[in-house]
This record gives sequence, C-alpha cells and structure tokens, in this order.
Amino acid sequence: MSPRLLLLRLLRRWHARIGFAALLFFLILAVTGLALNHGQSLGLDGRFVHAEWLARWYGIKSEPPRRVFRSGHHVLTAANGRWLLDGKISGEKLPQAVGLVELADVFVVASDTALHVYRENGELIEKVGPGALPGAPVRAIGSNARRIVLRTASGVFASADALSWRPASERSVRWSVPAELSISEQQAYEEALAPGISVEQLLLDLHSGRFAGRYGPLAVDLLALLLVTLSLTGAWLFLVPRMHRGRH
Amino acid sequence: MTRRPRRSLALLTLALGAAAAGLVRGEIYQAPDAFVAEVFGSRPAPKVLWLTQDLQAQAAAILGHSPAQVRQRYWSDSRKSVWILEEIGKEELITAGFVVVDGRIDHVRVLVYRESRGQEVRTPSFLKQFKDAKLAPGDRLDREIDGIAGATLSVAAMERMARLALFFDRTSRK
Repeated sequence: MSPRLLLLRLLRRWHARIGFAALLFFLILAVTGLALNHGQSLGLDGRFVHAEWLARWYGIKSEPPRRVFRSGHHVLTAANGRWLLDGKISGEKLPQAVGLVELADVFVVASDTALHVYRENGELIEKVGPGALPGAPVRAIGSNARRIVLRTASGVFASADALSWRPASERSVRWSVPAELSISEQQAYEEALAPGISVEQLLLDLHSGRFAGRYGPLAVDLLALLLVTLSLTGAWLFLVPRMHRGRH
Repeated sequence: MTRRPRRSLALLTLALGAAAAGLVRGEIYQAPDAFVAEVFGSRPAPKVLWLTQDLQAQAAAILGHSPAQVRQRYWSDSRKSVWILEEIGKEELITAGFVVVDGRIDHVRVLVYRESRGQEVRTPSFLKQFKDAKLAPGDRLDREIDGIAGATLSVAAMERMARLALFFDRTSRK
C-alpha cells in the first residue's frame, strides 16, 4: 500500500475518532453558542436556575430564611434576595422585607427603600420607590383604621392609597413584626428560596468552560484545537483524493 | 470527591451576592421627585393611570413583556405630563423621566442607571434624539433612534420607555 494511501487511511480513522470523542462537547458548544446568540430574545438574563447544588458549586452561600411576616391571609418569608409570598416566588434581587400589612382589598410589603402594593390575588399594583415615599429608609410598616402607616427616618406617615402621605401618630398602629421560623419551616422554605444563577451566566460559563473551574477554559482551548484538527483533516480527506484523481 | 468553589466563580458569587443583598443601588443622577419638581416648579400631587387588561396588552406590545405593575402614577397639567418609568436594559432597571407636551416628548432624563455598562444613554447628545418625538402608527416612534456601540440594550430600553410614555400620555388624556 502506498504511503499516501496509508496516510489517508490514518487520517480518516483519527478524524472519525476525534469527531466521535468530542461529539458531546461540540454539541454543548454549539447549543450554548446558539442560545447565547439569541439571549436577549429568549430572555435568558431574566431567567434563573435555583438549585442548592448549583449555588454551592458557584460558591454562593445560601442563607436560610429565618423570619416570617404574617398578616391576615398573607404570609411572607424571604432569603437570598427572593420573596416567597403566599407560597409563590415574587421576584429576584429583592431587598430584605421589613413588614407586611393587609388592608381591605390590597396588601403591602415594605422594604427599607420601597413599598410593593399587591392585589388580594398577588398581582403587583405598584412598586412605590424612594421618590414617592414620605421618608426613607422605611423602618417599619403597620396599619391603622384602613391606612398604611410607615415609620421612617423622617417620622411616621399614613396613607390610605400609598399615593399621598400625611404625618401620623403611632397611636393604635398595629406594626408588622416578624416571627421566628421553626427549623422544619426553615427547611421547607429553604429549597424554594435557594439563590439563583441567571441562565445567561450559566450558558456563558458552560460555553467558555469556566463552569468547570480553573482548568475548564483550558479544556475548551483543547476542544478548539481538536476542531482545527478536524477541519484540517476533513479538508485533506476531501481535497487530496480529488487532486490525485485530477492528475490521472 | 470534594469539589471546592472555583476562584472565577467566586467573583461572580460576590457580584450576585451584592446584587441579591440590594447593595447594587446604581448611579442616581437625579431623584425622581426632584425631576418632577423641576418640571412643574413645585411638587404636584400624583395622578394614577390604571392599566386595564386592554391597556396591559397594548403596553406589553410596546415593551415586549407584560408591564410590571397595573397602577402607573404620573403628574400632569393641561398640556404637559411627566412619566417616571423603569425598564431593564440588560440585567438591571434603568429609571428615566419623560416629559410629554402636546403628545410629543419635550425632554428625557436618565434618573437612575444601574447597569455596569451603557451609561452613555444619559448623555444629552443621545437624549436629544427624543426631542419632539411622537407616536407613529403601530405605537412606534416617528423616527429612528441612533444606537450607541456597547449600549444597544440600554438604547432599546430607552426607546421602549419613550413609546410607553407617549402611549400613556395619549391614554391619560382620553
């Protein structure tokens, strides 16, 4: 057998072996690359993966929920920037809640910088930011005769609609105070309130190899070299026999 | 085998942790209430626009997602209205104030910018493109807004908010 034929056979064999061995990794690179390329339209940065093991892998310390606010029909517990409101996750990157009050047809969650006003069904009516609050930071929230009452750094204020505020007295205000969660309740809520990693970040780390730690990018470099090898051997296998045939 | 957190991921952790703890408050260029006071010369009482199902659907068509809240506060007099809106650029909310006069944008200001990149959207040279913009058919702006390299998503967010402010102004005057 001629040396050229031997080389072709060797290249074909290794081309197939390398291609098969790297199949899974190339698929991961291709799928993550495609997804990242359309990340905005897919809303990847707004989606989060919540799992204890993933948080541990990323070195994120998961904080267990310790306190719960209860008001009439509503229950709020929070940890890791997430609120679990009546058993439903309310959002990401939320500040620590300072209280929860319920009025006739709405309920209000206060953080130190904002109020979140909800309908009874949990629909957000309005997030009232610092500019619309009578004072900040909010230190406590309570209710008094169908009014929301805030204790802020600038004094105590009351409002019936969270739109206009008036100075108020603390008399007969029922302040929202947290209760300690039992160990079993903490465990029950902990999984739901696990910290999250954005899908976009996860895909970026998978694509670049950083997900696997310090040596991950080196592995991706190796895959790039394999891809170069596959391209070159593929081109060789495609072109050389044709060139040879052309000479005869 | 015990897996230890990797250093590169630990940096991300710090950023995520800080954001989760609410420490990333962003750059406040002007407090929203100060913006309203500047426009009207005083601090008028806010009005509210309730987003019915129909309005929510129209707002969602402009934003590309459902509006975050169903009660939108605004400030207005006979000709002028002020809308403080928030929209996510890439990962964080941008807070901007829009002044609409006779159905056209009079001026825009970025009040709070929380993204790590793309602050160029607050420059007057970018914002002046919105001057006198009005809604064209399909609730689009009547002009193209030039993008900024490296701030594409923030530019898109500003454009969406401009359209929403004009839409809300039109709705509030019906």
